Amino acid sequence: MTPVEAGMLGQVALLAAAVAAALLVPARWRSRVGGILCTLLAAAGVVTGVIALSGGQGSLTIPAALPMDPLVLSPDRLGGLVMVVVSAVGVLASLFGIGSARVASASRTAWASMAVFLFGMQLVPAATDVVSFLLLWEIMTLGSTALLLAHHATRGTVASALVWYSAMSQLSFFFVLAGFAVLAGATGDTGFAALATLDPASWQAGLAFVLLLLGFGGKAELVPLHVWVPRVLPEAPGHVAAAMSGAMVNIGVYGALLVCVRLLPNGPAWWGVLIMVLGGVSALYGILQASVASNLKVLLAYSTTENMGLVFLGLGASVLLRRDHATGAADAALLAALLLMVSHAAFKATLFLGAGAVARSTREMNLDRLGGLGGRMPWTAGAFGAAALGAAALPVTSGFVAEWMLLQALVHGSRVGGEVVSVTASVAMPLAVAVIALTAGLALLTFVKAYGIAFLARPRSEKAKQAREVPLIMRIPLVIGAILVIGLGLLPGPLAEALASAVGPAFTPDVRTIGLAGVDARGIDVVLDPATVVAIAALVLVPVLAAILVSARRHPTRVSPLPWAGGGSRLRPRMQYTATSYAEPLVRVFDDVLRPTRDVEVTHVGESRYLVERVHVEQSVSDVIETRFYRPVLGLAQRFGILARRAQNGSIHRYLSYSFVALLVVLIVVSL
Amino acid sequence: MFDTVYPQLIGLCTGALLLTSALLVWRHSLLASIRLLSVQGFALAALVAVIGLEEGEAEVIIVSVLVLLVKGMALPWVLAHETRATTRTDEAPRLNPTAGLLTVALLTILSYVVASRLLSGDTSISAHAAPIGLAMVLIGFLLLVTRRQAGSQLIGFLVLDNGIATVAFLTSGGVPLFLELGISLDVLLVVVILYVFAGRMRNKFGNTDIDQLRKLHD
Repeated sequence: MTPVEAGMLGQVALLAAAVAAALLVPARWRSRVGGILCTLLAAAGVVTGVIALSGGQGSLTIPAALPMDPLVLSPDRLGGLVMVVVSAVGVLASLFGIGSARVASASRTAWASMAVFLFGMQLVPAATDVVSFLLLWEIMTLGSTALLLAHHATRGTVASALVWYSAMSQLSFFFVLAGFAVLAGATGDTGFAALATLDPASWQAGLAFVLLLLGFGGKAELVPLHVWVPRVLPEAPGHVAAAMSGAMVNIGVYGALLVCVRLLPNGPAWWGVLIMVLGGVSALYGILQASVASNLKVLLAYSTTENMGLVFLGLGASVLLRRDHATGAADAALLAALLLMVSHAAFKATLFLGAGAVARSTREMNLDRLGGLGGRMPWTAGAFGAAALGAAALPVTSGFVAEWMLLQALVHGSRVGGEVVSVTASVAMPLAVAVIALTAGLALLTFVKAYGIAFLARPRSEKAKQAREVPLIMRIPLVIGAILVIGLGLLPGPLAEALASAVGPAFTPDVRTIGLAGVDARGIDVVLDPATVVAIAALVLVPVLAAILVSARRHPTRVSPLPWAGGGSRLRPRMQYTATSYAEPLVRVFDDVLRPTRDVEVTHVGESRYLVERVHVEQSVSDVIETRFYRPVLGLAQRFGILARRAQNGSIHRYLSYSFVALLVVLIVVSL
Repeated sequence: MFDTVYPQLIGLCTGALLLTSALLVWRHSLLASIRLLSVQGFALAALVAVIGLEEGEAEVIIVSVLVLLVKGMALPWVLAHETRATTRTDEAPRLNPTAGLLTVALLTILSYVVASRLLSGDTSISAHAAPIGLAMVLIGFLLLVTRRQAGSQLIGFLVLDNGIATVAFLTSGGVPLFLELGISLDVLLVVVILYVFAGRMRNKFGNTDIDQLRKLHD
């Protein structure tokens, strides 16, 4: 038995143990036992994934009762990489869950489905044929649905969110199924190795590509299949949201990679353009919605759409550039997409866990009512801050490395050796750079808002004032997540090399580790060594700062009784900036896209027209795609449903007549 | 001697079956329908007996006695007993008698057409008569679709069952004794259950018009 096989068997055994423990252990100990077993399950996934990523082989064969080939699970390097990423997020989420799961989210169903969800997610990348892929995909979806169901008894909004989630999951499952069916129909087999023999230029490959892209895009929360995200994630407990938004979206990315790297590499140029358009629109739309959201979890949810959009943008650029023989830039773009996937998993998991910690301490997710948590919850604030830096793609975080690599690939992509590679590329690359620039700017604004409003300044409500730091078991995953975000950003070299090996043997991006674990992308001749830069900066800055501090000590501190604030001190917390007021200029600029609804209610003092007693302002931003696209479609479906009700009116006679007519029709057809 | 009479006997029995089925569509009175059903049961039993005599198998003769007891006597008795015990409401079907008989004619033609395709290779006398069974199935179904009262529905169901039995006897020379025993008891049980159900319906709504049961859908 090889280590990979042992790892996968271990995951199966731990799944059984975790489900049994969730069902049998009494409520008092359930979260601890269930959480530890889920952590072990995810840790087994990390180990298996690392072995598979470093080239370990091994397969698990599950004989199927159906008349078909047995299911074979055998992760390749790419599968191993995704398994590591999702399992690592699973470890953090499970650890956090030990401390955070309470009442409904610590129920039998919740812990059992958490284990099922993790298991499905970890083994999807190991599938080597369509049937086992779809089977594990559905296990993952069902597990996550049951997890979300935990809170349905206490909150009315959960039910409608779940309906959206189930419908959208099934929609993306349908697309994936249809796409694989087209491929399997064209090649006559369901194994991935056989599917890869199809010519990417054939019309079947094109049709399958579009269907699979839509299906996987739905799981990766891309526009226009993202509508479930802002509804579902705010309803989920912190650790579940972290597992869904940090890990499950990567399965969508894995699906897209499977198509573009493994099954149908070297696709036509329009594939790349299509992926880039989908990714670019998602990135812009996601970050715009995130920047004006005032619910912390909604903000993070939309930010996932943005990041996944960037991942797909990189993937699309790599497909397009490879077609145009700009191999160096194409490899760099693919590498950037992978880097972004890994870094997004790290910072988004940490951010959602941070939001979970805030929710646990304050029971409040509206940024307009938070504030001042920095001093009250220093660990959470530190971890959230580090992850927010990553999400805003600022230096020394993994997010920065990823976006830097993406920009470098795009900048170097339109020309090879001074020659324009193609008209499409020379139009698409600058546009993509513009999209990323705008996205990066808005992301910075968004996360300044998220961190600044929630953790800095004074508390805006009583709940925020009474916040306490979360227990140790919840702080550990937060800190690990923050260390990962910074660590991967400081030492990107080894990570980039591992990622480059993962897409082999089809593609072989030429990256090396340089300097202090910096990254050297030789294909496009760019070098980034954050650790060295930081070290040099430290060498310069430490003496300077020391000198400043020493000289500052000599002068006495002047205490001003009245800080400058338009002539008065800011006594009341309500006079501070809120999330809504901070985003106000943005809402005005992007009024046409966001279409906010504002409601201003002015109460006058007595009969006076000039003296105002109270002003009540309410602003809400709805999802344009939901109101303009899904609602009309749903309305149409409902009208058909009402028509169908006439045929299905409950009368026994009518049902009998249907059977009778059906029988007669069959008989007539037989006798013709 | 018997061989010359055999086709005529088969024709007589199946003719009686078809005639009773057609009359069931025509008559509206519940008690008259039950009497017709009883006649149909006797005709079916006679058909089975004729087939048994032709094949010379004692088991088939026993089955014919069983059919006589269950379909000719027990079922009509149960139906009549229940109907007499309660207030009698005559059927107001959705199809008037003329249209009903016309439909019966069309269904019979259809079943002959279908059977000629399905049994084209089989030239035996019993196979020639098999379309009658199919026609009875269709007529039973027609009764189910057009009748409003639960009692009449039950009669339609029994005609359908008789049709299936007729096809089975004519095409395969009868079913094994145990199978027939099981089927007969099953039908008897179903009839009893449906009658209890109809009684409860009457208590609840005051009649057994199944058009009232419209709230079954969500």
